[in-house]
Amino acid sequence: MSAPGDKAGPSQISKSVENEAASKPVSILSSSQAQVARHVHPVLLVAFFLVRFNALVLDPVATMWNSLPVVLAMQVAYAIVCLPPAGAQAAKAPKKPRPGEKKKPAAEGSGSNIAVTTTAALFLSTFSACALHLIFVLFGAPLLTHLPNTFLCSLHLSLLGLFPLFYTHGVTKNSWLEILGARAPFDETFGGLVGGCLGAWLGAVPIPLDWDREWQKWPITILCGVYAGYVVGKAVGGTLAFGRRFG
Amino acid sequence: MPTRDPRPKAPPADYKTIAAQYARAKRLKEIEAAGRKSEVPSPDKAQDDAAKKQRAAFESRRKSAYEKRFSWTVGFWVWMLFIHIIGIYLFTSGFLLARLVLEEQSECSNPPIEPLAQWNGQGSVDAGCWHPKSFKKAVVVLIDALRYDFTVPVEDSSQAEVYHNAFPFLYETSLKSPTNAVLLPFIADPPTATLQRLKGLTTGTLPTFIDLGSSFGGEAIEEDNILKQLKGLGKRIVHLGDDTWTALFPGYFEPNISRAYDSFNVWDLHTVDNGVLEHIFPLMQPERTGEWDLLIGHFLGVDHAGHRYGPSHPAMASKLQQMDKFVRDLVQTIDDDTLLVVMGDHGMDGKGDHGGESDDEVEAALWMYSKKPIFGRTKPEYRIPPATAKIRPVNQIDLVPTLSLLLGIPIPYNNLGQPIEEAFAGQKGDGWSNLAAVSRIASAGIRRYQASYFAARGIEQSSLPGSPADFWERANVAAQKATKTQEGTYTAYTQYQEETLRICKDLWARFNVTRMVLGITVMALGVIVLLIYVSRDEDDDLAVLDPELDFAEKSLEMQMSTSTESPGSDQGLSKNLVKAGALGAVVGTGLGGGYVLLSASQDWPLAAAGTALGSLVGAAISLFGYGKSIANLIPRTFWGWLSIIFTLSQSIGFASNSYTIWEDSISLFFLSSFGVAAAIAALRRPTIMDRSLGVYHSVLFVVLGRIASFSKLCREEQMPYCASTYYSSANSSTSAPWQLAIPFAVFLILPTIIKAYLTSSRSYEGLAPAWIGYVLRGGLLLAAIYWTLDAASNGEWITSVPAETLKTIQVSVAQLVLALAFVAGTTAFIWAPPCVSILTTASKSGGKPQLIVIGHGNTNGARYLLLVVNFAAALILLSKPMGTGAIGLMVWQILSLVEIIDLNAITTETIGPVVLALLGNFHYFKTGHQAALSSIQWDSAFIPLFTIRYPWSPLVVMLNHFAGQILACVAVPLIVIWKTDPKRKAVLESTTRALGIFVAYYAVESLATMAWAGHLRRHLMLYRVFSPRFMLASAALLIVDLIGIAVTLTGVRTNTLAISEIFGWAD
Repeated sequence: MSAPGDKAGPSQISKSVENEAASKPVSILSSSQAQVARHVHPVLLVAFFLVRFNALVLDPVATMWNSLPVVLAMQVAYAIVCLPPAGAQAAKAPKKPRPGEKKKPAAEGSGSNIAVTTTAALFLSTFSACALHLIFVLFGAPLLTHLPNTFLCSLHLSLLGLFPLFYTHGVTKNSWLEILGARAPFDETFGGLVGGCLGAWLGAVPIPLDWDREWQKWPITILCGVYAGYVVGKAVGGTLAFGRRFG
Repeated sequence: MPTRDPRPKAPPADYKTIAAQYARAKRLKEIEAAGRKSEVPSPDKAQDDAAKKQRAAFESRRKSAYEKRFSWTVGFWVWMLFIHIIGIYLFTSGFLLARLVLEEQSECSNPPIEPLAQWNGQGSVDAGCWHPKSFKKAVVVLIDALRYDFTVPVEDSSQAEVYHNAFPFLYETSLKSPTNAVLLPFIADPPTATLQRLKGLTTGTLPTFIDLGSSFGGEAIEEDNILKQLKGLGKRIVHLGDDTWTALFPGYFEPNISRAYDSFNVWDLHTVDNGVLEHIFPLMQPERTGEWDLLIGHFLGVDHAGHRYGPSHPAMASKLQQMDKFVRDLVQTIDDDTLLVVMGDHGMDGKGDHGGESDDEVEAALWMYSKKPIFGRTKPEYRIPPATAKIRPVNQIDLVPTLSLLLGIPIPYNNLGQPIEEAFAGQKGDGWSNLAAVSRIASAGIRRYQASYFAARGIEQSSLPGSPADFWERANVAAQKATKTQEGTYTAYTQYQEETLRICKDLWARFNVTRMVLGITVMALGVIVLLIYVSRDEDDDLAVLDPELDFAEKSLEMQMSTSTESPGSDQGLSKNLVKAGALGAVVGTGLGGGYVLLSASQDWPLAAAGTALGSLVGAAISLFGYGKSIANLIPRTFWGWLSIIFTLSQSIGFASNSYTIWEDSISLFFLSSFGVAAAIAALRRPTIMDRSLGVYHSVLFVVLGRIASFSKLCREEQMPYCASTYYSSANSSTSAPWQLAIPFAVFLILPTIIKAYLTSSRSYEGLAPAWIGYVLRGGLLLAAIYWTLDAASNGEWITSVPAETLKTIQVSVAQLVLALAFVAGTTAFIWAPPCVSILTTASKSGGKPQLIVIGHGNTNGARYLLLVVNFAAALILLSKPMGTGAIGLMVWQILSLVEIIDLNAITTETIGPVVLALLGNFHYFKTGHQAALSSIQWDSAFIPLFTIRYPWSPLVVMLNHFAGQILACVAVPLIVIWKTDPKRKAVLESTTRALGIFVAYYAVESLATMAWAGHLRRHLMLYRVFSPRFMLASAALLIVDLIGIAVTLTGVRTNTLAISEIFGWAD
């Protein structure tokens, strides 16, 4: 990406975002369960997706809907076992300026902290699915028909890609500015989001082909891309690219 | 200097006043400065004058240097245009099918084989040349674009389309009296243009694609054909209707009784038809039938109703009803010795257009009628006329041997068709010996033709099993062995004919691979040279603004009285490129021409290839001499990679018919991807202001694109996953009444939007308020009125005003809009002052006069926008109501795009021009077009004109067809000069770079479609998908080349001249 500041004229006081937003990548908890779970989690996800694939092709809406609880359970379990909840890192950090987070007050006891963070993150993920739905439509998804297909697909993407980020970052403004600006450091969570989104983007490629296959139905290919991209992105983000940034 | 003073309104200033104001204010300031420095307020007159002179000399030097740079830049682009023309020409000449035209004629007394049958007077015209004749005369009625399903009644009225049940007579007669009438599907060989069809219908051979372009001109048929045979045997031919016939057959028709009518006035549904109706019946009177032997009547009403309204329109139904009545009346006047043929030359697609090879376009109807019973069916189930065109179709070329044998004349030499079974099977349908006789004589003709053709081309014919020769042998054996029934003989000869036809279809898809490869090579090298030309080196950035350096350079230059040569390296680049290109061209022409002469191959296109290749090599050497290299082409930034991904993935996608078919959705996908990337990038900007604006414009860009995507015109291959919205229905080419709201919405909203974008940089000054607030608004209102009147005349809402008056008003309104946009618009653009307003105010502290230029920060962009706006207005008028909305949205998208580019500081990246090019292509689809010949909106020629007039009509159709690409091309400079002030250096160089990338996108597309069409030349979808896309890409490339030179670069020059006149030359 072009270096910010090309255009910053002399009049603009460069309050360069880089300085204050040196957020660190999220490391997986060091407990042994966490280390095991981080590897089991993608395997389970992929296995589950493959098991459900035929049903998905037969009836995308029902299958996506029925799978939600399972995927949700997997994501929640992964988050709780492997990831530090929002605020946990901040507490460790020397000083944290008020991030303007509403769910924060509840973060007293660590048990209730996890429960509240999970709930809030789930709520936020559901809400973000609406935004993702809109983005799908802007990319050309049908506006008036196939509403459940598109929405459930965005919900899956949101649960995979966004939920871990909400869980670890809460709604800290700077973190999200970094994430949305693709400046965040790579870790399992951000890598998963990038992978999921790229997967969804590439998932659109087979749709126009005239192969007349059932699996070309909307949004099966996108969902495949999301799952594949998420798993790959998560793995790469947690290992090879860990701590690196775009641009 | 860019002011922040929120003074809202400066008095509208004209050019002179602004210049004077600026000069005065500047002088004041200079005096002030001088006073401060030297403490001596000495207005030393002599010194002042000398400085003035020096300044004037300096300015004129810079101006003449600019003019030189400009000429060389234009020179480069003209050279590029020639390279593209040569590349496209080379490929086209090898790709579009060519067929050798043979001179031989069939003769009455010289049948290709001894006839099986014996009859009295054999070999004479009176009894029949090659076969006993059945009719003395024939009446051939050609109803242009009579699609087969128009003639098949639909009983269930809920299933019936508007055009059904309007023309049932053909079907009824064929069902009720099958021995008198026969109705069959009549399959055309593409291209389905009338001219090509007439050639096929009279010569019996396959038309080639090359002739398609001449559909406007028409040219005489040299080959043997039915009319030539008749004429040669002393028969008289009368022609009424479409004048394409007289162009193809000059001097064939009986002079005083034939009547030809202009065929291209698509708007006019009745003149030709009424002319035929008026003149045909008198000729059918028994006392006048002696004046002719073949009577041809060619109706155009159905075709024109299709072009103008589409098939599902009451006008089509009433036209078909008129035809129904006409045929009923005509049948009454036919005598026993006359054969009546009613046929369509091609069908029409869902919108009523034709030209391609979709099913609806090739499926015409054929109906033959005779008062005496003659027709038969070989199977009982054949008695019912086919319900769809897929059942028992016959080829259009089959009419040629059928008509020839029925009339007793020789079958034209080049015929490839076979006699139509129903016409020779006898009333009982068991006339196998007759069928065997006719199929044998026709097949022998084909065989003779094939032998001469192969001899003329010097190719050996295959005699392997399964080859036509093998089939021929087997048929001859069958003929000799035939016992009671000759059914086997008939089948064998028919097989021979079918196999030969199949081989000929393949054979005439004979591509000249050498030329195709040369064309592709020229295009590929052209793309590489263009890309290297526009590529940037690290220190190449001329746009860097350093005021101090600039000042130092300026004063240095001013002090030197000797003329300095060429600021900026690019002048030298263009100049040397053009020179090297010319030198290379001379050498290349010499080599290529020399080769052609020495080898005496007459293959002059090779010499052209030599010119282009030599020239390209010369240019490449010169480029490398400048230190540019192939390595420059590797992108170094995310945006560079994104441009590559967009361009290349689309180019690769053209290898697949699916991606070509769904290009409109794919363009939207890419545009949205860019918008999202831009929004992400905007979030990285340092200030919250930039971030919010960046995200806002990115989201806006995507949302507008998505809104535009609701305007759809589906191509046939997209069915059933696509619903057209461009017209009122899928079977129509008129707009729905609610769509009229769109031009009015554009009229209300668009000027306000443009104003808002100008106001944000305080550039709604100078001419802008008047031009955008009044002239543009007025033009848009007139365009909306035009389309309202058009809808009124199509829907016959106003019955009190005669149609002619309405049309006159429409044409005047349209011409007025075009005059506003192009004549007044260009004049205004040339003479307009910059969109700035200059004020001198006393500042509060110290009372020193201050020079304030409102709109200074966008001086270059705001003024240039006027040119874009002019083009948009004209294109809006020339697009149908749905298209006006698309173009309005496109202007808005262009504005948000240039804001995005500016906010993210990616002016010098390649992504801007690439997205603009994508946007142009996207809106090509959104203005109701597809990469198919039938989507050309021919009727747009009649928006500002009553009749076809050269060169205006093709120009108007071109503006309508390529509106998206043209507008995008005109808008290219905005990417680099939006929000730049007069001190922006190297505007011309930046523009030509941006234009280079923009053109490179189209050149790559053209190259890719060319390469794929060449590679997939045996693909089933070649003529349906790949070839039209190649033609679209090539045409678009040449058009952006031309517009780039004639409008974009010239417009930038005008802009720079006007701005530099006032603010001084920046470089």
